[in-house]
Amino acid sequence: MNTPATTTQPRVPVPGGREPLLAVTDLVKHYPITKGLLRRTVASVRAVDGVSFTVGRGETVGLVGESGCGKSTVAKMVTRLVQPTSGSVRFAGTELTGLRARELREFRRRFHIVFQDPYSSLDPRLRIVESVGEPLVAHRIATGAAKRRRVCELMELVGLSPAHIDRYPHQFSGGQAQRIGIARALATGPDLVVCDEAVSSLDVSIQAQVLNLLKKLQRELGLSYLFIAHDLNVVRYLSDRVFVMYLGRIVEVGPAAGIMQRPAHPYTDALIGSVATPTSSGGFRRSRVVARGEVPSPSRPPPGCRFHPRCPEAFDLCRVQQPPAYRLTGDRLSACHLRAGEAEGVRDG
Amino acid sequence: MRNAAPLLAVHDLHVDFDTPAGPVAAVSGVSFEIEPNETVALVGESGSGKSVTALAMMRLLGRGATLRGQITCDGRDITGLTEKQMRSVRGRAMTMIFQDPMSSLDPLYSVGNQLVETVRLHNRMSRARAVERATELLDQVGIADPRGRLRAYPHQLSGGQRQRVMIALALACSPRLLIADEPTTALDVTIEAQILELIRGLQREYRMSLLLVTHDMAVVAEMADRVVVMYAGQVVESGAAEQILRQPQHPYTTALFQCIPTPVTDRSAALTAIPGAVPSPHELPPGCRFHPRCAVAFDRCVTGQVPLFPLDGGARHSRCWLSGDAASGRADRTVVTSASVPGPARRRR
Amino acid sequence: MVEYALRRALYGVLVIFMVTVFVFLALRAVPGDAVRIQLADAPGVTEEQIAERTAALGLDQPVLTQLFHFLGGAITGDFGASFSDGSSVGGLIADRLPVTGQLGLMALAIGVVLGVVIGMASAVRPNGLLDQSLRLVSVSGLSVPSFWLGLLLVTYLAVYAGWSPPLIYQGPAENLGGNLAQMTLPALALGAAAMASIARMLRSSLLEVLQSDHLRTVRARGAGRGTTLFKHATRNSLLPVFTVLGLQAGGILGGTVILESIFGIPGMGSLTFEAVQMRDYPVVLGCVIVYGAVFVVVNIVVDLMYGVIDPRVRYR
Repeated sequence: MNTPATTTQPRVPVPGGREPLLAVTDLVKHYPITKGLLRRTVASVRAVDGVSFTVGRGETVGLVGESGCGKSTVAKMVTRLVQPTSGSVRFAGTELTGLRARELREFRRRFHIVFQDPYSSLDPRLRIVESVGEPLVAHRIATGAAKRRRVCELMELVGLSPAHIDRYPHQFSGGQAQRIGIARALATGPDLVVCDEAVSSLDVSIQAQVLNLLKKLQRELGLSYLFIAHDLNVVRYLSDRVFVMYLGRIVEVGPAAGIMQRPAHPYTDALIGSVATPTSSGGFRRSRVVARGEVPSPSRPPPGCRFHPRCPEAFDLCRVQQPPAYRLTGDRLSACHLRAGEAEGVRDG
Repeated sequence: MRNAAPLLAVHDLHVDFDTPAGPVAAVSGVSFEIEPNETVALVGESGSGKSVTALAMMRLLGRGATLRGQITCDGRDITGLTEKQMRSVRGRAMTMIFQDPMSSLDPLYSVGNQLVETVRLHNRMSRARAVERATELLDQVGIADPRGRLRAYPHQLSGGQRQRVMIALALACSPRLLIADEPTTALDVTIEAQILELIRGLQREYRMSLLLVTHDMAVVAEMADRVVVMYAGQVVESGAAEQILRQPQHPYTTALFQCIPTPVTDRSAALTAIPGAVPSPHELPPGCRFHPRCAVAFDRCVTGQVPLFPLDGGARHSRCWLSGDAASGRADRTVVTSASVPGPARRRR
Repeated sequence: MVEYALRRALYGVLVIFMVTVFVFLALRAVPGDAVRIQLADAPGVTEEQIAERTAALGLDQPVLTQLFHFLGGAITGDFGASFSDGSSVGGLIADRLPVTGQLGLMALAIGVVLGVVIGMASAVRPNGLLDQSLRLVSVSGLSVPSFWLGLLLVTYLAVYAGWSPPLIYQGPAENLGGNLAQMTLPALALGAAAMASIARMLRSSLLEVLQSDHLRTVRARGAGRGTTLFKHATRNSLLPVFTVLGLQAGGILGGTVILESIFGIPGMGSLTFEAVQMRDYPVVLGCVIVYGAVFVVVNIVVDLMYGVIDPRVRYR
């Protein structure tokens, strides 16, 4: 039905050659669309269609894209909240996809996810000590007084007063509630924290606080982050490497430092054109590259390059052939026929 | 442009809400003007009172809200008008579009039905003629196959198309002022750019003024002629967009700009964050409402109310003892130097 | 949509089948013997006569055999014959169903009309005097069982107005006045609960819709009260009301059993009531199947109405 993603998606070498903390290969999630009296599957929504990446120890990998590009589905598959259709998720050298619930339990304490809306991910009827301490109880790490002690530590770690652990979520502001969400994610001492739009609903002044907190925690605890957001500026600031997703696939990979200065995919151009950019005279401008049209439905992705119907630079090849991940100079990959040619990159099998 | 009579003038607007804990002030003494064809951006974070101000201008505040002050539209104060009289103001003089285009359209009626209803509300015309006009409007807002789309229901449209329909509905009233409350916040960034371009084009064509309520500096930079910055229910700074973006006068505006990560932000350094959170309207601080979070606050900021100082001969205003003309032009400027003044104000520099 | 209706109908048949089996077995489990109850008053009945009668009715067979025999007949539309007088169950029900149908529809109409009026009146000025007093009416409507309300109405009218409804049933065709005189009170008693829950549901859902973004947007375009309230608000608040309606239909159906007996109305309700007392199994089963079918159909219709009101509802 679709060409095997193996040959076309970026494969990223592990920095330093060590086994990465997280290695995702050819991850696919298709949701069936059923029809008729017997509910036959007539088509599928290709939410994620062959995505590969790695996250090294202590590294922050940014996943950026618009709604419907599949970035949140990737987050849920990595944390095993959603079962992948196919593909591999290796965490610290162990394949997670085949594991049974009991075997997975051991790993669940080693990765955690922080969601966008801090209030809806905290039970409004539970005191903070219960919400934050819940993973401690679930993993039989601490109960009673030990749990309270650990929750107090966590509260201090995220910059909140330990005196407030007996309060309820509604007694905190949005920024504070998100800090509580982070505290809970850290309760079991994880290696990897997946942030799914974790700062997107916060006001900019609070967003800056939480971004600083995430950086500080990474320094102090040696955390790895999979940081998922739609704001390229925020992703660039926090990440070491950035993966740009469009319609279920990765279109560009590069180090955070270079990707905004020299984007190697027209879709990245469009994303950059939409974010605040300071001008030489001070203040902000946006460069306003307007991508045409809208994101097509993931149940009917266009043939060839999935971005071609909206791409100002598309030519004949883009309409028929799905671009492979062209390797450019440095650690960069681009799934664009044109840009790869311009950069005289070598094609990566 | 500044010499023309303002289309709309808000003078000393106060909005109080009844709450179980007594009345709270959401907006305290806001004043600004909008000239014909001008775009004014009302900027602030959540809790600044910007949306309440916009709703007050439309007299669309719900039950339990008390409104004081003047809102002059075409020389007529509309604060005292009855609901019935307001009907002639809403739509024709000004209309409003909101953040979430899905919840802002009636889900039970087709796009055509809602458009025809609005067209006929403001123009005496036959049904057939109104359908023609509705088709024209859809075409103008860039919806492909406008005649066919008349039969579509809101849930059958994408987010961007829904916002286009919202704009078409606003245009159907031929308003002289369009109030757009976070019109692109719910949209993807590439769609945001398209919608902003559409609004700007239509604004010119229909000779509308635009009040853009937003928290997004990139949107402000792209759209606004003048900017009104709000914090905790007050205007803290206002002036020409270019000047404010280049050289903000109020410490809040300055700090707000520094919070936003940009493509050139130093990734190794911490972001400049504003400590604390926007005060709840239940417990507004005395003196300058920003002083508990302000890096340059001194003892005077803690006690007295700060007036809105005119700067640059009245072209700009800033509610800060330290801002330009206000500081230099005053006899008591010696107080303003920081280190010599101990006081209850917190220092964070 | 047709496909959806078919699937729902299929489920409905399954539900009715299961109800039938359950009721069949439950009736057999109830103490008391159909034949003995029937012949109890007759003097000098011998055990042989009882056994003979039992065999004639097929009650000497094992329960499962009886069940299969009944189901086999039911599939072809033959629900058997009444134990008491041997008349066909189908015929009995055909006589009685229109009477109950009229009563049920009257109750539903009263419930819907009063419920909608009270609900809208309450929502226009929430917590006003009208709202407060109407809330009292709704709460009473919900808390008072229909049979008691029926008795209360009869007694009150008899004592204070000296009027009581006729006790001899007349069809609407022969004497409409007399018919309505007899039916109105039980319909009112039956509809009270529906009225109350519709009123409360409509009030809260209207209040929610009146606060919604899209209604605010309609007002922002300068629409008048009529357009906002009647075109946009009411239709948007109807969905939960329909859900309540489906549930209340069940309550009304159940209520007919006692109210028809109280008011001497020869409908399905009193037929069921008598049949249960007489252990007239075929009649009880026939009635239960019809009640079940009506309830299933009402709820399918309610579900299909969602689709008519709300284009977002897709039948899958």
